[in-house]
Amino acid sequence: MQLAWPVFVAAFLASAVEFVEAFTIVLVVGITINWRSSLLGALLAAATLALIVGTLGVALVTYVPIGVLRLVVGIILILFGLKWLKKAILRYSKHKALHDEEAIYEEKVAELRARGETIQQIDTFGTVLSYKAVLLEGLEVAFIVITFGSSAMSNTCSSACGIGSATIGAAIAGVLVILLGALVRAPLTKVPENTLKFVVGLMLTTFGTFWAGEGFGIAWPFSDAFLFVLLAIYLLSSFILIAALGQHKQRQLATASTESIAIPQEEVHR
Amino acid sequence: MKVIKAVYNFLVGDMVILIGVVIAIILLALINTVGALSPLRGTGEAIILIAAVLISLTVTLVREVWG
Repeated sequence: MQLAWPVFVAAFLASAVEFVEAFTIVLVVGITINWRSSLLGALLAAATLALIVGTLGVALVTYVPIGVLRLVVGIILILFGLKWLKKAILRYSKHKALHDEEAIYEEKVAELRARGETIQQIDTFGTVLSYKAVLLEGLEVAFIVITFGSSAMSNTCSSACGIGSATIGAAIAGVLVILLGALVRAPLTKVPENTLKFVVGLMLTTFGTFWAGEGFGIAWPFSDAFLFVLLAIYLLSSFILIAALGQHKQRQLATASTESIAIPQEEVHR
Repeated sequence: MKVIKAVYNFLVGDMVILIGVVIAIILLALINTVGALSPLRGTGEAIILIAAVLISLTVTLVREVWG
């Protein structure tokens, strides 16, 4: 088969960005929740994708409302992300209650992780998160392959040649991203639990804002590179919030210790 | 009712975050549909979305700590 190099390179680069986005979510779910849930979500998404692409083929671009899908997934990711970010910020600033049921469960998870054991139970939250990210990004890759491939039709390259070249480019990008992810997986498991959850919260909020914005038709400056700008904005804001809440907690503790010293002295004077 | 509560807890579990995000969606939908608000499309929408996310996070944390 003749390879249309411009289409191959364009599809490779564009798909690599989408694969990295999907793989980031799969990776963080695998590390923070468990790999079984993460991979189950990714496999279910891959099966759904295969079904959609197999049924619709090139007509996929016409029938799947990618804008609506981006909007829905984006909003859900913002909700998930803010929930995780809130908990992580409260823990960093020492405001999070230590003895609620959720905290006890999370402590057990952290304990198991520290011992090098993993929780094998399927976690719905993790599976759904992984599923949505892979499905959305997978659909975007399919869109890239079909649109880039179809637009490459010329006298020297047929539609099959264009789509074939784009498919090869996307497939190589996918394999490379998975290999790279497998390499960074091991060092990531050594990162402390709350740090990971903080990073996950940041990433989900960042991706969520980006996708929801795209769903509303916002053309982000610098395209996908704006993800880094969003991440920086949320990271900086989180640090400010942690510092402010941490200072408040310290003042609370200082007041409490002053009162506990003052009360016995008053009793002695009596 | 139980199903709605389960979905709510699964998705967000925090009323402040939910209300903040819903208000942002309504605002962005209005900007996209109402002609008079069309100057806000694009950059304005992006700023509103990011601000809504940050305000929701700040308000829920303040409520948790001081509330």
